[in-house]
Amino acid sequence: MRTLRQIFGVTLVTLRALVRTKTVPALTLLLLLCVTLLPRLITGDGTPAGAFKILLTYTLGFAFGVLCLVTLIAACGLFAAEIDSTRIHLTVVKPLTTFQLWLGKWLALVLLAVTLLAGVYALVYVQITLSMRQPAWQEQVTLVSRHVVHPTLPSPQEEARRVYDEMKRHSALPTNRTERQILGTLAARAHDRYDVINPGESLKWPFTFAQPLATNSIVTVRIRFDTEYSTRSKVVGGCRLATTAQPNEGVEVELNDLTQNEIEFDVDLRAFNGIAPTGFELAFQHRGDPDKSSGLMVRPRQDVVLLTTATSFEANLVRALIVQGSILALLAAFGLMLGACFSLPVALFAALILLVVVQIGDVVVEITSDEDKELVSNRIGLWVSEGATTLTAHADAGAPLAALAHGEVIGTERIAQSLFWNGGLTPLLFALVSAWILRRRELAND
Amino acid sequence: MNAILELHNLHKTFKDFWRRPVVEAVKGLNLTINAGEVYGLLGPNGSGKSTTLKMILGLLHPTSGSIRMLGATPTDVAVKARIGYLPEVSHLHAFLTPRETLHYYASLFGLPTAVAAQRTNELLEMVGLTHAADRAVGRFSKGMARRVGVAQALINAPELLILDEPTSGLDPIGCREMKDLVHLLAKNGVTVLMTSHLLADVEDVCDRVAILDRGSLRAEGPIHELLRNPEVIRFSLEGLSSEEASRLREQLEVLAKRTVHQDYPAMSLEAFFLNVVNSGSAEKPFAIAPYLNSEKPPA
Repeated sequence: MRTLRQIFGVTLVTLRALVRTKTVPALTLLLLLCVTLLPRLITGDGTPAGAFKILLTYTLGFAFGVLCLVTLIAACGLFAAEIDSTRIHLTVVKPLTTFQLWLGKWLALVLLAVTLLAGVYALVYVQITLSMRQPAWQEQVTLVSRHVVHPTLPSPQEEARRVYDEMKRHSALPTNRTERQILGTLAARAHDRYDVINPGESLKWPFTFAQPLATNSIVTVRIRFDTEYSTRSKVVGGCRLATTAQPNEGVEVELNDLTQNEIEFDVDLRAFNGIAPTGFELAFQHRGDPDKSSGLMVRPRQDVVLLTTATSFEANLVRALIVQGSILALLAAFGLMLGACFSLPVALFAALILLVVVQIGDVVVEITSDEDKELVSNRIGLWVSEGATTLTAHADAGAPLAALAHGEVIGTERIAQSLFWNGGLTPLLFALVSAWILRRRELAND
Repeated sequence: MNAILELHNLHKTFKDFWRRPVVEAVKGLNLTINAGEVYGLLGPNGSGKSTTLKMILGLLHPTSGSIRMLGATPTDVAVKARIGYLPEVSHLHAFLTPRETLHYYASLFGLPTAVAAQRTNELLEMVGLTHAADRAVGRFSKGMARRVGVAQALINAPELLILDEPTSGLDPIGCREMKDLVHLLAKNGVTVLMTSHLLADVEDVCDRVAILDRGSLRAEGPIHELLRNPEVIRFSLEGLSSEEASRLREQLEVLAKRTVHQDYPAMSLEAFFLNVVNSGSAEKPFAIAPYLNSEKPPA
């Protein structure tokens, strides 16, 4: 009880500091402007479906970006400014541990940032709800969140092993790379591998559901693809969804407009005569003229999915809020740690540099060739990028918004992972480091 | 005697970024402060008294030597619950009111809300800030902010009170009240360690003093012993006329076979100022917050 009183005392005073020093009013105004003006400035393709996606990706994404930056800067300042001004002397001579002090400040920041984020989400939701009163929106936009089921294929690692063994049999393995490196490259390629469906050809993908679907439910088929731009209007085809139990009795859909690089259609399972299926087979047949149309390129592990109703759009919105809130918690922890280690200018500089490294880290890792690694400076840069990418692997800020916009449910596992890593374990690690540094560091000058 | 604070062979050397020694601020300091004492740490600028105080508070780490405070080291969290500290510059949160400030520091000691509220009211009354209890501290004068600083240092009813330049920024009335407070706290069993540039203040309140210079201890002991001049004896008499005084001096010179000096003792400027300012006003005597008073009034 005493410990909690001490922590909440710090939390309360930190909240008062943020609110009364005009940080929060200014930020609230900025976020309000973002949420109200941005959808009017970025109109997309002008359709309600486009506006809906922009609201959920650009508007929420931009507001979240602003919140991330402000949270990081405020977090750096909370300790650094107090140490620089010696105000911290009056706090650290009191009987609370540096860990409690850190935790109190972190809770205040997280509480504030998540409240503001929730406000942004609420405003976006209000805008969507108001827009949904228009007939055009009702026609084009469906507020859903659906489970995504990918085809039942060997994992990229399994496929990588198969290809590796085959290359070994043909003595086609590169000599200057290790087995682990080759398998890593092959697995990445397997994940991004394209299947090509040429005119006259067809391709099938099996799907397995963990639970039998309700006989009166709807399954949505979605296929994304690439094709030659100039001949895309000539591509026609047909899709057939059948259950594995009765492969000969399926639902066929004619597809005559493939110009949008994405097809999506609903299948009512009542068409399968009351069978509650767990397995499906989806087939696509390219019926375009071989002389006038090109083949379709499809990444089976990413582009072909079956979607089933999961939960409401509102619940999915809350799920996205939790994931992004946990990322804010991670940033707050990171900023507080930097503030505990360095003076305010140094902490801010380090925070912004590391933010950039995290943003471009995976690209750096991807484009660095073996020749580049010969230079020591490049190797150091690569290690830093790899480290930053690994540490922030669970803080993929864009993913929940993309899922929201595509009507895909943000899985419970994803939420649990985000809460555990971004909202729990990593901040705890940062807290322990900060507490140790604050204990070791001399907080006064001569 | 029960030692509250012991410094043993304390050294502090400040180093630069490359860990090269820059200045030796404290050189082999040995001090013992006993329970219930008012102890003054004196010295010119750069003598090492602030550095010593910061090491006692755990804000700086000694290069060598040791500090035992209330039976523990300065970094011991439990022992901090028994200490009050008033820094030279009270960097309080400018956006908080005195009431919120005291509630905040009370929460850091884990005091229950009811106790915190009661102590806050008593302390605000004691430092004369009840009328400004709900105004932001940032708008206070230096003297008023100092009073809030004093109140926060006493919120936990400390056993050891560390005051860094306690009268800095206070007017003569505030200085007097501060000295009265130190006296009253000492009377209630609180040990006080203070630094000050104002030697008159130290002389007024301290039982013992240590004088530091360039990091070394130059003199230490009870203040009346340090200041006593055994070569001179002074007699004080009241109500003598100038003729009687002249006759007495002549007789003393004959008896002592020495020249006897005669003068009129002057009151200090502070006492004169307080007499002038307080004359005619119904100023209440300074009263300590009830929860700090160990001498409970009779039921």
